[in-house]
Amino acid sequence: MWEQVRQTLNQSTVGALNWLAGLLPGLLALLVAVLCSLVLAWIAAAILRRVLNSIHFDERLESWGLTGVAEYSPQHTPSLLVTRVVAWAIVLAGLVLGLGAVEATGTSELTMRLFDYLPNVAVAIVVVIVGVIVARYLARTVLIESVNMNLHYARLLSLGVKWLVMVCTIAMALDHLQIGSGIVHLAFGILFGGIVLALALAVGLGSKELVSRSLERESRLPADTEEPIRHI
Amino acid sequence: MADPPVEQSESADAVIGLISAGRDHHSVETTIAHILETPVPIRVALLHPPLAAGNGQAPAAPSNWLLIASPQLAFDPSSFTQSLGEGIRATSDAARKLNSRACALVASDLSAANADWVNLLLQPVLEQQFDLVAPCYARHAFEGMINRAIVYPLVRALYGKRIRNPMGPDFGVSSRLLERVSKASQARAHALPSLAAEAVTGGMPLCQAHLGPRNYAAPDWTNLSSLLARVLGPLFLDVERYAAHWQRARGSQPIREFGQPMYLETPQSAMDVSRLIESFQLGAHNLQEIWGLILPPSTLVELRRMARTAAPQFRMADTTWAHVVYDFALAHRLRTISREQMLRALTPIYLGWVASYALELELASAQAAEQRLERLCVAYEETKPYLVSRWRWPDRFNP
Repeated sequence: MWEQVRQTLNQSTVGALNWLAGLLPGLLALLVAVLCSLVLAWIAAAILRRVLNSIHFDERLESWGLTGVAEYSPQHTPSLLVTRVVAWAIVLAGLVLGLGAVEATGTSELTMRLFDYLPNVAVAIVVVIVGVIVARYLARTVLIESVNMNLHYARLLSLGVKWLVMVCTIAMALDHLQIGSGIVHLAFGILFGGIVLALALAVGLGSKELVSRSLERESRLPADTEEPIRHI
Repeated sequence: MADPPVEQSESADAVIGLISAGRDHHSVETTIAHILETPVPIRVALLHPPLAAGNGQAPAAPSNWLLIASPQLAFDPSSFTQSLGEGIRATSDAARKLNSRACALVASDLSAANADWVNLLLQPVLEQQFDLVAPCYARHAFEGMINRAIVYPLVRALYGKRIRNPMGPDFGVSSRLLERVSKASQARAHALPSLAAEAVTGGMPLCQAHLGPRNYAAPDWTNLSSLLARVLGPLFLDVERYAAHWQRARGSQPIREFGQPMYLETPQSAMDVSRLIESFQLGAHNLQEIWGLILPPSTLVELRRMARTAAPQFRMADTTWAHVVYDFALAHRLRTISREQMLRALTPIYLGWVASYALELELASAQAAEQRLERLCVAYEETKPYLVSRWRWPDRFNP
């Protein structure tokens, strides 16, 4: 009996080692592809940065009126933004190439399915990152504009916009991850509709007096021509 | 963009560019007629926006005048800095092609502009070798508030020259300065604010001319934040661009003035500043998070204290206001947040300063208003070391 146990253990160890050995070239190929793409991305970014600086890319973009390009990434100049996008695109291409090599050498179904699922995870991560940036940007814009329009419920509006975008983003990410798609669709519809309905009710009923006071105040404002203060 | 239709063989000693909104053809025609009545011993080209078909015929020009219609001189108020920039570029292109020595840019409402304006803007350039003639308008204490609160004191403190209206929009410019600006602004969106900065940093002689009252388009309250963003955006870009120069400049010097100074008395009607204070308080209540990214803690504390003050005692110290403007200029350079959002977030603080200024100057004389403006400018100059420190060490120096 012990002999049979030993043989079974040997077989499973050999099987596991064979599986690992079969996977190793693919993993090695993935590592090489990622390393090569990192080096390539670094070289391409350095060259591109020099070229963009030499042609005064940031100033040219400004002269073409395309200042909005940098608005989503305020702490970076447009040339840095372009350089980074190109560099990351190269790294991503390297990763995809490496994953292809792993897939070609992969033997078990679990590995295949895991690697099939990875692109979904990557897309979901990108969707969440973009969603968070857009939600933050829009919430800030709505807050500033509402305050400048003298709306007393500025913070509420800003918060509403932020969560609308966030809910939409989370639903999209979960959809990409293929997690409970039916429930997510249903929950998203209920939640999104609920937020819109809550806002409508808040403005229509709960904040009726607040809104009417705001509108009244606006209508009491002196006409432009009577205003003695002139800004320009 | 099409060039103005200028023949290469033609030449003119001076070029006048009338940048005007296309809708007011009558004012354009009347102004052209008045200007053409002025006897001039030199050859002058007059660029104007196209007049309406049918009734919009330009008057017949005397022999030493050259009339040129250019669509680039049609002013669009909805994008005024862009539009003015295009008008200035079109006029300077024409001046270069015509080998002109001087150029007058008239971009104010033409119902107030007249031949005297053109003379005052051109003569110092043609006869006294000045490179830039900036305008001085007769205004009462509550007109041109963005210029009073930010543009004039900031430019004066940074560049050390007391140019009352650094952003014009009416200028007399030499061909030398136009050449310099066109070279410097090839990759820039706005030539308008750079004229004064280029002249000062280039060591070119400049002066200002008292042009008298200027007419204004009706202010749009709802668009004040975009107005601020459009005016301050190019100004702060120049602050960044000329940082090496203004960090060396100390104090300020007056510049030579032409024409007769005029000051309008402050309107005697009682002013209601409650809405301005309310806007400031609303901003202080809701925008702390955004202001916190731009302003240091000491300024935030001061603004919070102000937000709790009632109308009669409501005041904003000049040093606080100067610090706020300097901090926003720095945040513009550092791109702490989106530049557009950042400039718009200044609106409630600006309205707070306007309320404080209005409460101080209610029923004050024109002289008192001038003295008040001078105190503000001195405050900007005295707090300039704060900007220099923050500019050089934005992370280390954060009081």
